[in-house]
Amino acid sequence: MWHAGGVSDEDRLTRAQARTIVGRVFKMAAPFRKTIYLAFGCVIVTTSTTLSAPVIVRHGIDAGIRAKNTDALNTSVVIYLIVVSLTYIFGRLLFVFVNKTGESFLRVLRLAVFKQMQRQSMAFYDRNKAGVLVARMTADIESMSELVQFGLLQFLSAALMLIFAVLVLLVLSWQLTIVAFLVMPILVLASIKFQRDSNKAYLIVRERVGANLSALQEGITTVRVIQAYAQEDEVNRKFQISNRSLFAAHEKSVRVSTWYFALIEFSGVFASALMIGIGGWFVHRGTVTLGTVVAFVLLLSSLFDPVQQLSQLYNTVQSAGAALNKLFSILDATPEVDEHHSAIDLPTTGELKVSNLCFTYAGADNPALNRVSISVGIGEKLALVGPTGAGKSTLAKLMARLYDPQTGTVEFGGVNLKMATMYSLRNRIVVVPQEGFLFNGSIRDNLRIARADATDTEIESAIAAIGATEHFAQFSDGLDTQVRERGSRLSAGERQLVALARAALVDPAVLILDEATSNLDPGTEAEVEHALERLMTGRTVIVVAHRLSTVQRADKIAVIADAQIAELGTHSELLALNGHYAQLANAWAQSHSITS
Amino acid sequence: MPLSETDSEVSARIEFEQSQRSEGWKLLRGLLRDQRRNLVVGGIIGITWASFKVAIPQITKFAINDGIEKNGPLLRWAVIIACLGVVTGVLSGLRRYVAFRESRWAETLLRERLFGHVLGLNIGYHDKAQTGQLMSRASSDLMQIQAFIVMIPITLSNVIQIFAVATILFITDPVLAIVAMLPLPFVNISARRFSNRIHPISVAVQAEQAQLANVVEETVSGVRVVKGFGAEQVQFKKLEKEANDIFGEAMKAAKIRSNFLPAIDVLPALGAVGVLGVGGHRVLSGQLSIGDLVAFNVYLTLLVWPLRNIGMIVALGQRAAAALVRIHEVLSTISDIKDPEVHQTFATATSSTTQLGAVKFDHVQFGYDPTQPVLTNFNLEILAGESIAIVGATGSGKSTVARLLLRFYDTNNGHVFIDGVDIRKIKLSELRQQIGVVFEDTVLFNDTVTNNISFAEPDAAQEDLERAAKLAGAHDFILQLPNGYDTIIGERGFSLSGGQRQRIAIARAIISDPRVLILDDATSAVDPSKEGEIRDAMRTVMSGRTTIVIAHRPGTIALAQRVVFIDDSTVAAIGKHEELVSTNVRYREVLANMEQSKTAKNIQAVK
Repeated sequence: MWHAGGVSDEDRLTRAQARTIVGRVFKMAAPFRKTIYLAFGCVIVTTSTTLSAPVIVRHGIDAGIRAKNTDALNTSVVIYLIVVSLTYIFGRLLFVFVNKTGESFLRVLRLAVFKQMQRQSMAFYDRNKAGVLVARMTADIESMSELVQFGLLQFLSAALMLIFAVLVLLVLSWQLTIVAFLVMPILVLASIKFQRDSNKAYLIVRERVGANLSALQEGITTVRVIQAYAQEDEVNRKFQISNRSLFAAHEKSVRVSTWYFALIEFSGVFASALMIGIGGWFVHRGTVTLGTVVAFVLLLSSLFDPVQQLSQLYNTVQSAGAALNKLFSILDATPEVDEHHSAIDLPTTGELKVSNLCFTYAGADNPALNRVSISVGIGEKLALVGPTGAGKSTLAKLMARLYDPQTGTVEFGGVNLKMATMYSLRNRIVVVPQEGFLFNGSIRDNLRIARADATDTEIESAIAAIGATEHFAQFSDGLDTQVRERGSRLSAGERQLVALARAALVDPAVLILDEATSNLDPGTEAEVEHALERLMTGRTVIVVAHRLSTVQRADKIAVIADAQIAELGTHSELLALNGHYAQLANAWAQSHSITS
Repeated sequence: MPLSETDSEVSARIEFEQSQRSEGWKLLRGLLRDQRRNLVVGGIIGITWASFKVAIPQITKFAINDGIEKNGPLLRWAVIIACLGVVTGVLSGLRRYVAFRESRWAETLLRERLFGHVLGLNIGYHDKAQTGQLMSRASSDLMQIQAFIVMIPITLSNVIQIFAVATILFITDPVLAIVAMLPLPFVNISARRFSNRIHPISVAVQAEQAQLANVVEETVSGVRVVKGFGAEQVQFKKLEKEANDIFGEAMKAAKIRSNFLPAIDVLPALGAVGVLGVGGHRVLSGQLSIGDLVAFNVYLTLLVWPLRNIGMIVALGQRAAAALVRIHEVLSTISDIKDPEVHQTFATATSSTTQLGAVKFDHVQFGYDPTQPVLTNFNLEILAGESIAIVGATGSGKSTVARLLLRFYDTNNGHVFIDGVDIRKIKLSELRQQIGVVFEDTVLFNDTVTNNISFAEPDAAQEDLERAAKLAGAHDFILQLPNGYDTIIGERGFSLSGGQRQRIAIARAIISDPRVLILDDATSAVDPSKEGEIRDAMRTVMSGRTTIVIAHRPGTIALAQRVVFIDDSTVAAIGKHEELVSTNVRYREVLANMEQSKTAKNIQAVK
């Protein structure tokens, strides 16, 4: 049975939504319009040929056999053979055309959605959880592939088949058509009810499959704890409960389909019974010929199968619609941080100046930054410190225009960042995040994230600039070493080195650092420190600091508290103030003094 | 496969694969043995259904010949056919129901067996096993098996149906029967080939989809890097490549579908053409009635689905066999760590003064790979009620000591005793009930706080629970959680801070009041400013209980009465922290290393 569908009530579309979605799908599919027309032509041919078969048989029986006309019989056979060949040839073409259209559409959809996601600013990524965005690009799009592979084709041919079948039946005998339609209400009502029940049953199955898989995974990953506490039996017992409830859900869904398939089978036979009984009476009265009744008996399945198929497709179409609805809402999101139409390049160097900056995160009650002003001169090093959530990271992010402020400005060399080209902005101001985030690929590939067009020599000199040449030369594949997923092949310190080399490759005027809170492996810690030192030389640096040593190296320290700059000055100046900073320095010192 | 494989190696390999496969089928037979009765019932229903299904066109033929052509009793014929409809309808529903129910039941039981078996396997096995692989054993492999079992009763009735139809056709008119059925074997062959060809492509499509998912995942997770460097175009190129790959594989699948599916549809029609041509002439020459001719056409359609299904079940069977072999491989793995055949029990406290929980490692030698020992000649005696800290460089085997005590692994040589009893002579469950452990990486379950704490003792009373939580310093913050002790925590539940997680793990370790407590430095994953809270909790629960603290951070050492310094895979020194600091150079080095890794520079700076 087909279970591609499964739509929860909140995902069900309204009529208006459905109409817009269909319209947009057609617009997106415009580039492959030619293939669509070809597919449509093929459907018309195969449907007509399939339906003409019983008509040909009827002709063979009535005009050939019953009239004892050998020629007429032979003609029918030849025509039948031609029709069958046509069905085959156009059936093949149909598969190719429909699949090509569908898969091309999915491809275009994947690219469009991803591109749009990439255009979005950080605020978008704050709002949408990573898992949800990944699901949009994977599960939601994949949920349509079944529709694309079979559904579309089935839908087209079933719909046409139904229309053609009714037409053919009407032409053959309107009286018998009415007889055939006597069964229709049962079939339609049963199909609708089945769709509703099986959808409900399927949603439960899906939910329990998920729960069951989680239980499995939890059991396997926590096996050490389970064994350490000798709780294997208890965990087994709980798993059994989840497993049996999954079975119950499966059983329920089979029961739903049991009576439906029974009814379908019955109504097919029942329709033949009606045909024999009432149709036979018509023959006796001379209203229709025997051949017509035979043709009707044979054609009944062409009438019933499409109805059944269409109703089974209903859920699949629904869930595809729901997925498209979610995808279109991503396509419709306008990026908050975008390049201004008359943007200019930033100067190569200059002062970074923040004036009267106010910023509130979407959905937050209180501002994260409230009228903050500060300037950082060329080559100056500013440390931002303060309690968690006070706004120091936010300030750093706004200085790199990862967000746009509600009011106030950030300027570099006298140019408002909002008026700068994205390209020059990313070249002048570089953010190095807390943890070295690596992508699957080689070390070289990971550096090219920062500058796609960098030559090998440029990459090597970036590595040399942070003094890590020797370190990576130790690897047997050197810079071509595959770092694997998330860089798991490298240590945390090595990942950090790669992240710093990226920044060196861009060679920015301003460096914004978010210092790591956790510790690195002792071996590379010194190397990372050293690399950082070299990278910072000669650049304007803004660092979100968590360590005393870092703070002490800064020319200037800003204590951010309650969305504002509470204190500003050098290490000793601020200690002397005996305020926020003095307290913080004290706490830092204490947390490490227990051991000595 | 190496090219240099000799003939004897080839035959040995083939023999091995065959024996594996036959073990797999044996597993399936064993599974289905208990459901034999229901499967037989299903088979009977299927056969009955098939015979009725076959009878209907025959009756229809009589009805046309007798009722319509010869003006017979039409109503009677119509009623008879309608009644047959009711019977086939009910039977066809039941056939599906039994087939699906039984296959799901077999799947359910096998999954439980698999899960239970995997849970019982020794930790050495789990060190090597990949979670993803075990998961696919219990999900996709089971699915393959279920898909095969469901086809068993259906196939049975299909085979009967094919035989019955073929017999009727041959009795009616042998010549026409041959003409009609000539193309049909090709339906079967095509269906089998199609199923075999499309399978690897669908696997490939899935693999490509997974790669695309990886690109999306890393782009979204690394969005700071992507945005920070303006690397949108680089990532887009990667995604475009994956999207194109998916498209390529999907089109390959489309090609295969177009090669087979229309052909499968059209082959029976060729038989129908033959029936009209040859049959028509035979009616004209008086060898056949018109009713027979019509019935022939109907019978042909009855053969199409059974033949397709049989083609499919061969392919399904091959996949199920492979899945069965993989599952058998897991089920036939025997745990290295077993209960003793004759077991002793721990002595219980005889009087209130007797302190329990003395631990002794006696000449222990152990290596995860026996050729590379982690501990050699390891001797250690811990008095009942005493707390010791184990200190050593990274990889020195500190945590191994705890794992040996829990019997996660058995020693290669030497013995471990608790209260004078060799732990290998105690039942595993009894041994582990006497040990409470807090792992370095806190693992909590997706469950309520209550169930997490009472994990070791599911029947614990609420007051015991709260006592443990209070001792671990967790009670107060638990009360502040949205639903208190009923709050769901863990990966998918309410997210706790590292320190809170640790304290819940500590409460879990002490709830059953174990003889020995193992604390694998619970502070290492915690924000430095929260270390103090954890240490307070540790200090409380340690008092008066044999405790082994595995120290990854210098601050934790002070909690214990004695320090055991492991160096060079054995006990290098035992004594008080201050003594070791003043007498042992190597100890000072190791400490300094630990220190350095947590920014010793800062401390000096403040001084």
